[in-house]
Amino acid sequence: MSWEEILEAQQRSLAHLRSVYREDAETVIADARYGFISGLMKETLRKPAIERRSISDSIDKVLVNRWLGLFIFLALLYGVFQFTFTASVPLMDWIDEGFGWLADEAGSISPAWLGSFIGDGIFGGVGSVLMFVPPIFLLFLALAFLEDCGYLARAAFVMDRLMHRIGLHGRSFIPLVLGFGCNVPAIMATRTIENPKDRLTTILINPFMSCGARLPIYILFAGAFFTSHQGLVVFSMYAIGIILATIMALVLRKTLLRGPSGHFVMELPPYRLPTITGLLMHTWERGKVFLIRAGTIIFAIVVLVWLLDYTGALEPIGRAIAPVFSPLGFGQWQAAVALVFGFLAKEVVVGTFGTLFAGAEGLGDLGDVVGLELAWTPLIAFGFMAFCLIYVPCVATIAIIRRETNSWRWPAFTVGYTIAIGWIVAMLIYQIGSLFT
Amino acid sequence: MRMAKEITIALAGNPNSGKTTVFNNLTGARQHVGNWPGVTVEKKEGTCRYQGYTIKVVDLPGVYSLTAYSIDEIIARNFIVEEKPDAVVDIVDASNVERNLYLAIQLLEMGTPLIIALNMMDQAESRGHQIDVSQLSYLLGVPVVPMEANRSRGTQALLQEIVKMADSAVQPGRFRLDYGRELEEEIAKLQELISEDRELSRRYPPRWLAIKLLEGDEEVVKTLRVKQG
Repeated sequence: MSWEEILEAQQRSLAHLRSVYREDAETVIADARYGFISGLMKETLRKPAIERRSISDSIDKVLVNRWLGLFIFLALLYGVFQFTFTASVPLMDWIDEGFGWLADEAGSISPAWLGSFIGDGIFGGVGSVLMFVPPIFLLFLALAFLEDCGYLARAAFVMDRLMHRIGLHGRSFIPLVLGFGCNVPAIMATRTIENPKDRLTTILINPFMSCGARLPIYILFAGAFFTSHQGLVVFSMYAIGIILATIMALVLRKTLLRGPSGHFVMELPPYRLPTITGLLMHTWERGKVFLIRAGTIIFAIVVLVWLLDYTGALEPIGRAIAPVFSPLGFGQWQAAVALVFGFLAKEVVVGTFGTLFAGAEGLGDLGDVVGLELAWTPLIAFGFMAFCLIYVPCVATIAIIRRETNSWRWPAFTVGYTIAIGWIVAMLIYQIGSLFT
Repeated sequence: MRMAKEITIALAGNPNSGKTTVFNNLTGARQHVGNWPGVTVEKKEGTCRYQGYTIKVVDLPGVYSLTAYSIDEIIARNFIVEEKPDAVVDIVDASNVERNLYLAIQLLEMGTPLIIALNMMDQAESRGHQIDVSQLSYLLGVPVVPMEANRSRGTQALLQEIVKMADSAVQPGRFRLDYGRELEEEIAKLQELISEDRELSRRYPPRWLAIKLLEGDEEVVKTLRVKQG
């Protein structure tokens, strides 16, 4: 008995069934199962004749409303960032003081190179990254809350209608929101999308969703240059990311990835009060990645940056690349170096500045010091933040795109097109903005 | 001397059925997160000791069905077919039994030793749903354990059923859904061919494989094509 005969028998059966039912056997089988279940329910389940309108349904009337829902989603997102800021300030000050003290103490270590290594390299570089652990964790806590209470599924539902217009659907939305945490697991989460072109589009636009590693950059410069509108400026970064993702999805679906998008029914789980344990576990699962990164890859890169700086090799590298960024307003070698190393991991942008400008002022003023030393205006800082948002997410994201698409074509494409768009957007911000100042 | 007995169970269930909470209740801190072989979907495993048993708990991806349309579904069913866990616990949202049972039906058709954990009973009750648990258990021929996992209720009863199932080694497979004359005739034809093949009938429950073929399941078709060389 060969297996080929079984497959032939299968084809005969399928043809026969199709002629009998005028439908695919698959549908008939599914119907039979549903029929069985509904019979089973008649014997085992009693529901009230008229189901009380549940609290869930009443809340949904508002949250899933066509226009109000969108407004509420944006308002909640804005609230999340405000919360992240307000609540993390005292914690950041505390960490800042701790590292400032450590850096001061390290300064007196001899020989001088060791003091510089520990003070500037480790405490300045890694410390400046670790300082942003509180906002990152608080952002994840807020996202975990929205996810666990069932709101995120509503947001997906609201977005579904909009997503259809850009050739995607609500199922792409969850991986995109997960991208606010980290693009790597977010890209893995696209596996639930059945249609291959939908999935590839969702993967390719995911890097525009501003991940937690980019948050330190925004906070650093928003704090230094936009004191009274920090929350708004950071929110605008996320908004730019979302707008770019939307445009790119539209473009991709009309060009490289043309074709119909899949259909599916969005499901709305009931609202639940999240458990504290659940929230803490979800926050920790996502947040610990940053602690591990700070201790490993960030540490290694910052040490490399310090070494290159200490030996005088860093400045020539920076000067060679810097002219590329001149039309963008941040053509200083320090900025160029920070961006080059930021390719490896976005936190390193801050870590590099921390190593280069670590001084007696303390880390809390790092943004001010950078602004002063490089003679940046708020406009330049804004363009720099936008460039950091858009250009190559990080090596880990490129690696996961390579793995998930099983080719080098798409990761290479991502690197190329994100750098190009980042450069253009930052250039436009600087050039057009300069006309008004 | 008593030997510590090791058994493996898999947790299946729809997304939002409280599967993760049940997993946490069972395994506590003894968890391990890895990847399913060959793919980047997260695989959670944990262990739990109960009445001299060491129970390895594998958390399958949350799915609504066991078709070949998504990687999650393929992972879930491949694990059950290939690893043959000692018991599969299907976490069913009691306030949404009707939809959740679709997965349970498919698990039963695979001939798995199934336990249904009827989770979130409190929510079902607050909506005025009354579920006849013993009748449900009788009609499906599997143990049904009412639970409220978010309040840690029902874990002990679930563990008891797991151990009982592992101990008794009862032959599952009493469940059989009647698909109607036309379909049943075709299922029977294919089932017979499959049963004649020793390798296939050892690897898959023949009736399940026959139904999958009629569903036009691409994974199954691919397996048959590849293996014949």
